[in-house]
Parts: sequence; C-alpha cells; structure tokens
Amino acid sequence: MSGGGPLGRGALGRALARNRRRLVIAVPLLWLGLFFLVPFLYVAKISLSVPAIARPPYLPLWEWKDGTLDLSLNFGNFLFLIQDRLYLAAYLESLRIAAISTLITLLIGYPMAYAIARSPAGRRNLLLMLVILPFWTSFLLRVYAWIGFLKSNGVINNTLMALGLIDTPLVLMQTDFAVYLGIVYTYLPFMILPLYANLARLDGALLEASADLGARPLTTFATVTLPLSARGIVAGCMLVFIPAVGEFVIPALLGGPDTLMIGAVLWNEFFSNRDWPVASAVAVVMLLVLILPIMLLRRVQAAPEADASKAEDAA
Amino acid sequence: MAQTVPGRTAPPQTTTPQTVTSAVPRPWEDPAATPFVRVEGVTKRFGSFTAVQDVSLDIYRGELFCLLGGSGCGKSTLLRMLAGFEDVSAGRVIIDGRDQTGVPPYLRDTNMMFQSYALFPHLSVEKNIAYGLRREGLPRAEIATRVTDMLSLVQMQGFAARRPHQLSGGQRQRVALARALVKRPKLLLLDEPLGALDRKLREETQLELIKIQQSLGITFIVVTHDQEEAMTLSTRLGVMTEGRIVQTGTPHEIYEFPRSRFVADFIGSVNLFDGRIAVDGTDSATIACPGAGMDIHISHSVAGTVGQAVTVAIRPEKIEMLASPSGTRPNAVEGRVEEVAYMGNLSVYHVRLDSGMIVRVNMSNRSRYDDDVPRPGASVVLEWDGSAGVVLEG
Repeated sequence: MSGGGPLGRGALGRALARNRRRLVIAVPLLWLGLFFLVPFLYVAKISLSVPAIARPPYLPLWEWKDGTLDLSLNFGNFLFLIQDRLYLAAYLESLRIAAISTLITLLIGYPMAYAIARSPAGRRNLLLMLVILPFWTSFLLRVYAWIGFLKSNGVINNTLMALGLIDTPLVLMQTDFAVYLGIVYTYLPFMILPLYANLARLDGALLEASADLGARPLTTFATVTLPLSARGIVAGCMLVFIPAVGEFVIPALLGGPDTLMIGAVLWNEFFSNRDWPVASAVAVVMLLVLILPIMLLRRVQAAPEADASKAEDAA
Repeated sequence: MAQTVPGRTAPPQTTTPQTVTSAVPRPWEDPAATPFVRVEGVTKRFGSFTAVQDVSLDIYRGELFCLLGGSGCGKSTLLRMLAGFEDVSAGRVIIDGRDQTGVPPYLRDTNMMFQSYALFPHLSVEKNIAYGLRREGLPRAEIATRVTDMLSLVQMQGFAARRPHQLSGGQRQRVALARALVKRPKLLLLDEPLGALDRKLREETQLELIKIQQSLGITFIVVTHDQEEAMTLSTRLGVMTEGRIVQTGTPHEIYEFPRSRFVADFIGSVNLFDGRIAVDGTDSATIACPGAGMDIHISHSVAGTVGQAVTVAIRPEKIEMLASPSGTRPNAVEGRVEEVAYMGNLSVYHVRLDSGMIVRVNMSNRSRYDDDVPRPGASVVLEWDGSAGVVLEG
C-alpha cells in the first residue's frame, strides 16, 4: 500500500513540501511582524494622536459612539517637528555626527581589517579575537571607562600634566570630540568584521597581476583592492551609520549640553515632557530617514558583483 | 582545364606542417651569443626551507624555454623571482643586461600569465587587457587599437564587454594571455599556462601558443609539470628537482641523452639496467648486468673505470621484439610476455626476462588486425642496437 490517498497525510506532506520555502521564510517574517512591525505601527498610531494629561498620555485615535466611528488623525505632531527648528537641527546634527563618525571608523577600520586579512593565517584568529574582545564587557561600562580617561582629573590630563606638557587640564569631556571618540570606539568592530570578511577573500594573485602590469602599490589599491572591497565598505558603513544616527547613551554620557542628537531629543520628549505623540513622530521620521541608506545597502548586496568598473574609469 | 588568369593570385598553397624547432636558431650553441636572461647562482630560502638552490641558467632572445619538474621542485618560485614577486636570497637575475635585484615587479619589462589567470573580476575583458596599457598612460586611441589587435590575435573579438565569470576556461586563458602580451614585454613568464584546460583543448592551444610566440618574437619562459607539454612547446627545457636544475637541453637532447637516472626516468618511460663496466674499449664497451642476466654491448666507449657501477637506460621503443633471434644485433635476450597494454597507436608490452626482470617494450600497431601480435605468455626475443642504450653513472 502506498501511504495515504489524495486526501490523506500524503497530500498534506506534499503541500508542506511544496511550500517549504515559504514556511522557512515564515518564521523570521512572523518574528519581524510581531516584534518590529506591530510595535512600529503602535508608535505610528501614537504619533497621529493628540497629547493629553492622562494615562496613557494621549487621546485615542478612534472612538465608537452612537453608531459612528470617529477617527481623528492629528498631523500636528509632524507639523510641529517642521515648525520647531530644534528638531530639524537635531536630525541634521545626528546625521552629521553619524556620517563623520562612520568616515573616521572606516579610515581606522579599513587598514586594520586589511592588516588582519593579510597577516599569517595562524595569527588572524587571535587578531579577530582582540577586535571582538570588548564585547565581553558591558557597553555601558566601557563608555564609563572613557569618562575616567577624559575627565579633567582623568588619566589623559593627569599624564599630560605629570609630563609637564600642559599646565591646566584640557576640556575633553562633554565635547563633540568625546562623542566622536565614543562612537568610533564602540562601533569599530562593526566596521572591521565585514571588511575583514571581504578582504580575506581577495585573491592575492590579483594584486600580483596588477603589479606585474605596471601598477604601483597605491594604484593597485585604488583600482583593484578598493573596488573589490566596495561591498564590505558599504556593509561596514551601514552597520556603523544606522545605529550611530539614533545613538543615545554615548552623547548622553560623553557629550555636552551643545551635543544635540535626535536620540537625546527622543528621550526628552518621552520621559521629560511626557509628550508621547511628538516623541513617536520623531521616531517615525527617524525611521523614514534611515530607510534610504538601508535600501541602498540592500541594492548593493543584491548586485552579483559590485559594478566597480566605473572606479577603473575614474582612476 | 585550369588556366592562369592574369591578375589573379595563385590559390593558397597547402602549408606543410613545420616542425616547431626548425625555424628557430640555436643561439645556445654559439659561444659569442649574449644571453637575454641570466640567472646566476640564484638561491631562494623560505625560513629553513630552500626552495631554489644555486640555479644558474642562460636563456636567449626568442627562446621558448620550459622549466619542467614535479610539484614543489622550485620551478614556480624561480619564475616568481624572474617576475619580481620574490626576492632572491642569493645570486642575481639579469634581464636584457640589467641586474633586476631590488627592482619591483611594476618596474620590470616582464609580464606574467598566472596559473589561475588572475583576471580582474570587476573589469570587462576589454578593460582587463587595457589595464597594463593604462598604467603606462598611453593615449586612449592607442590603447583601444592595441586591445582590439590583441583580441583578434587570441580570437576573442566578440567578447570585449564580457566579464571573466561569463567566460569558459579556455576563453579566460586567452584573455590572460592577451593581457600579458599587450604590454609587448621583453620576456613573458607563463605559470602552467595550459594546466586548467582539458586535454584536447590543451593540445590545440600548445600549437597556437608557439605560433603566437614565433610571430611576436617575445622570449617565453614556461613553467609546467607536464613533460609532453614541455617537449612540444620548448626550444630548450630545464628539468628541475629539489630546487636544482639537473639538466638543460633541447627536448631531443633531454630525451635521448639524459645525464642522470632522474632525468631518464622523469621524461618518458625507460628501462634501467643496473650493472658494472666489464670492458671499456676505444669504440665499444660491455656492461655486465647480473640483474638482467646478460651483458649489454654499447657501440661507443664509456668514460669510466672497469668495475664502476653504472646504469644502462634503454627507451621502450628502441627495443625490438621478435619471435626468434635475428642474429643481426649485438644485444639479444629471451623473455616471456607478461602483460599487454593496448594504447591505439602503439602497444606497451611487459616482458619478463629469465632473470625475473621486467622490460617494457613499445611496438607500433601497424596492422589493424591483432593476429600476429604476441599475446601474454608468448616466448619472445628482445633485441637492440649498440647505440640504443645510454650509460649513466650508477
């Protein structure tokens, strides 16, 4: 007997087999839907409501009264973001700090990733371990450690004064410099790891071929190494840029009163002003701003081979 | 009736197949000729491992020189030192009269074709070939012309816009060759250039490579582990083992006049008879070979002392296999056919001598029918001339 008729377990099995791909995707989709999309829609809903001194501190979006559905969408929160210069300034400042931090991280991370990828195979794992090692302690603790270094009677100032290089302590804490330092320090591994993964795959024979064809080392780097690692650069930059835009802890701890980042504004709206609708509007706009680079990332990752022949044209 | 029409060119004559070496002069026999590439006592050490040991080599302009050896013999390392990818640990490399010590690859007048081809995956075929010319800063128009010429030389005209991953192995090989040739190097280095091709394509490409080399007049140095390839391609070849060059010579010299057991054994197949010099006359010699149960007669004197241990190397195709002795050759020995391997053009026979030694004999299959050929178990007589054997130091 062959197992099951067309309506028996065999049919179900075949249906499962046919849809196995969809089922496999269904699990992460369900996860994302439950823990990302639903909360986001909830935030989006709040962003369209009217603030109130109540619990929760906003009025409901719709009401069912006497057979009428009363739906009131309040776009005032979004208009407020445009009207008050503070928000636009905070967005631009966040993007600027994130962009500069990402660039610095790339400039530091690329040579490190390159050096690890070109080091003897036995030493690579050790070096990668050292890159990942900071993750073993709490992120918050590491940022606090920087305060110990940067404050006016901290390690750096004490050392410089002991050496007689300076008379009065340098102001390092609560500056933009401290914020850049904190972001670059924290996110460097996220830049190094994708770059390393990319550069380790680079065929050394290509570099030799380039040299053999008359290219000096810098030309080889610009025309072969760099275009072939474009994907790693994009991946690393996105991994640093996206969280850096919304970064709250580092500017709060290391930054000063002038450091205006959107994460801190969001925090203030939620917890100080208890204006949930405006805070939600801030979050929704931030997500829309970040969707652009994420889509760019997806496009680059989906392309079969980064179209870098343009780089060769430019060289 | 065929009539000569005025103004009309004669029909193209069928060209007779040329033997490859006939057109090439033999500068290595001319003591006045200056070598184009001089390798002088070059040694390369990696830590405690010596990859190349005290190699000296003279290669002349227009030669197609093959470095032949098994894997790990140092042939690729020697090639990489010529290209400038590895520094020499001792000795020096001179190319066209210029000492290359300390000269980086990008300043050398050499180009290399890599075993893996090393085509830039992010560039089209056209841009791969143009890469070296752009580094020279040539005008765009000239680059375009030279790339087009090169594409037609390697018969890849229709593929200029393709990326390397869209090409077959044979097409990639052509692009790699074109990219290395387009710079018009004085010296082209080829690392196992045909290694990744299947047998049929390899044979076609060998002849094409020789044609291109002769038409451009560029000196080629080819690294290969394939002895047939080395024999077909080269004007001369150097046999390498354990970091040393053990013999240099034309394919004919290497095959017929090997100077050591290693070379005799490495190139082609060979029967090795161990023995001692019994008689060494002015124009003949006798080697006593107890292992074969016979004395081997040689039709020339051997430079050695009586009693000295030597090896006589005899190629399988130099031995005649007969049903009964002819009485015309100085060497004859009886045996029994043990195995026959049919190869199509020839058959390889394993004949066991009365002493127990196995001798390989090749016989070409002239007849399409196998009625007359000896079968396993048949008693045969093996005969060879006095000039057939090469006497090597034991």
